[in-house]
Amino acid sequence: MKGRKKRFQWGYLLLAPALGFILFLEGSALFMMIAQSLGFLNYTGEDAFTFAHWQQLFSRNFFDNLMYSLKIALLASLICLAVVYPLCLSIQKMPGKKTWLSLWKIPLFIPALIACSLMGNIIAYNGALNTVLLALKVIDKPLSLRNDAWGVGALLTQVWKNIPFMLLILYSAIEAVRKDVLDAGRNLGAGRVRLFFEVTLPVTMPSALVATIMTFIKVFNDYTISKVMGPIYPSTLSNLMHKAAYTLNDWHSAACIGCLMVVTSIIFVKLYTWLSDQITRRLS
Amino acid sequence: MENSLTIKNVSKFYGSFQALDKINLAVPEGQFVTLLGPSGCGKTTLLRIIAGFLSCEEGEVYFGDRLMNDVPPEKRDTAMCFQSYALFPNKSVYENIRFGLRMHKVPKEQHKKLVEEAMEMVNLTGLGSRRPYELSGGQQQRVSLARCIVVRPRLLLFDEPLSNLDAKLREKVRVEIRQVQRQLGITAIYVTHDQAEALAISDRIVTMSAGRIVQNADPRTIYERPNSKYVADFIGTANIIPCSVESREGDRFVLKCAYGTLRAIDRDCTLQPGAQASLLIRPEDLFLAAPGSENAITGTTRTVVYMGNVLDMFVDVNGTSLRAGITKENVVTENAPVTFAVKPDRIRILEA
Ligand SMILES: Nc1ncnc2c1ncn2[C@@H]1O[C@H](COP(=O)(O)OP(=O)(O)O)[C@@H](O)[C@H]1O
Ligand SMILES: [Mg+2]
Repeated sequence: MKGRKKRFQWGYLLLAPALGFILFLEGSALFMMIAQSLGFLNYTGEDAFTFAHWQQLFSRNFFDNLMYSLKIALLASLICLAVVYPLCLSIQKMPGKKTWLSLWKIPLFIPALIACSLMGNIIAYNGALNTVLLALKVIDKPLSLRNDAWGVGALLTQVWKNIPFMLLILYSAIEAVRKDVLDAGRNLGAGRVRLFFEVTLPVTMPSALVATIMTFIKVFNDYTISKVMGPIYPSTLSNLMHKAAYTLNDWHSAACIGCLMVVTSIIFVKLYTWLSDQITRRLS
Repeated sequence: MENSLTIKNVSKFYGSFQALDKINLAVPEGQFVTLLGPSGCGKTTLLRIIAGFLSCEEGEVYFGDRLMNDVPPEKRDTAMCFQSYALFPNKSVYENIRFGLRMHKVPKEQHKKLVEEAMEMVNLTGLGSRRPYELSGGQQQRVSLARCIVVRPRLLLFDEPLSNLDAKLREKVRVEIRQVQRQLGITAIYVTHDQAEALAISDRIVTMSAGRIVQNADPRTIYERPNSKYVADFIGTANIIPCSVESREGDRFVLKCAYGTLRAIDRDCTLQPGAQASLLIRPEDLFLAAPGSENAITGTTRTVVYMGNVLDMFVDVNGTSLRAGITKENVVTENAPVTFAVKPDRIRILEA
């Protein structure tokens, strides 16, 4: 009995790497962030508990950045979704689909900065896109899409970068829809489009939700692509945070922004879990 | 009567492999036709060509007198029951059955009545709100059947619908399928590799082998007057051994074979004396007889198995095996001499 108890206690040591990782790397960062947002861990002056940083946070500046982050994240994830479904369905029908699939995965391995340069070249003032559009007489003067006020450049780059990730998740979900079930549907009078909305879409909905929410959070928290391709103002919250910390040396405000980013992400994960629970319950 | 379905010279290739070779078939309205053959002989391929999931390189498919080759599956007005049931996993039983009505644009207010009617017909009443995964295999196949019949298709197609069910249930659902089809008078094409199922359910059996139709006839003819060794062997149990035609007088033959000299009456046989042939004797056509009776076959029992309804035995006749099935009242021991006889009109002469 005694020996067994002892072994049992030693067993807890096995948790150390995982627990240590969470406590020291994530927990400490989280703790520092919360503490700093409340005025502690001051690098330049006295520590003092205060809500002042939180009160200052909710300025016009912050909301502009928040709305911009939400806009880009929402649009990028929805555009990706809208592109990826037809993409999956057409890849599925192509000869040599394995090759096509691996070609489509390439952006997954390309760093964001390089993706920005690539997209930058395509949408530059005298880049490929403008050249083609001018030649086709769709436009009469080049569009300036890079660092444009609306964020088209950043959006395009995000879509380009995130499609492979979504493709990965959705393609396997769509492949898993049984062919005989689709045959049964066609047999009963449903055309391909109808069948997609009646069967394929609802059955793959949980996977689509995971992919969309994860893309949303990735884009929402993005720093690089918005910095390089996005508007000068507003930008993502990550950029605002960076500016607060490094340009203005205001680590407390940066910490407040960080807290809000974590909270927003958690809200979206919760929202996703709830939504997919609802949908999964309704589907199966 | 008009033919519901006519297939003319249909051939199908998968790459260089020929899966169907010039299939010709006409199915009168309201008939229950079974495509029977071993796995890989092209039954599913033919059924999928009829449904429109596959196209054929050669030949024509007609529904009535309308050429269907270029009509997509959703416009063919067929409905198929699959071996895997293929129910929509995201829909309830009720919604599964209603699906076809919605696709065929049947007015909404009729849906409830029609779906409930169909559910009653296949004994599913009360299960409408269940999900497919909450049903047993038999129930799922019934949902699949209800989903098909509710739209009153021109053709009801079945691809081995009972293969995933246990033996008892298989018989039960098979009877239900036949009842429903009769009641509604819908033409049905049914694929199976199970000869007993084919015999029990069909108006006609189309026996296939390696992409061809070997014999197309009603169940009794298929069983009692098979047109080839292949059909005789595939359907039921059979003693098939080589023989030679000694003499012939009209439809009366004298045959010489390992079982001895036998008299046969076969109106379909066209062979002349001197020809080499095969003869078919079904085990249940043999009966115990006194030595010296007409068509007596004498041998030694090797194994005798009590099957409940019959005694199934293997008998050694001059070194050739003979299988016999006789009624259970008889007592026969193993390794004992035994004499059987067979009526001349129960012997079938087939090409060698
Ligand atoms: N998609 C396919 N590609 C190549 N060969 C196929 C394909 N589908 C079926 N076959 C071949 O065609 C033959 C007939 O198949 P099938 O119609 O499924 O037979 P059955 O239903 O009688 O078992 C088989 O030899 C099978 O291997
Ligand atoms: Mg098959």
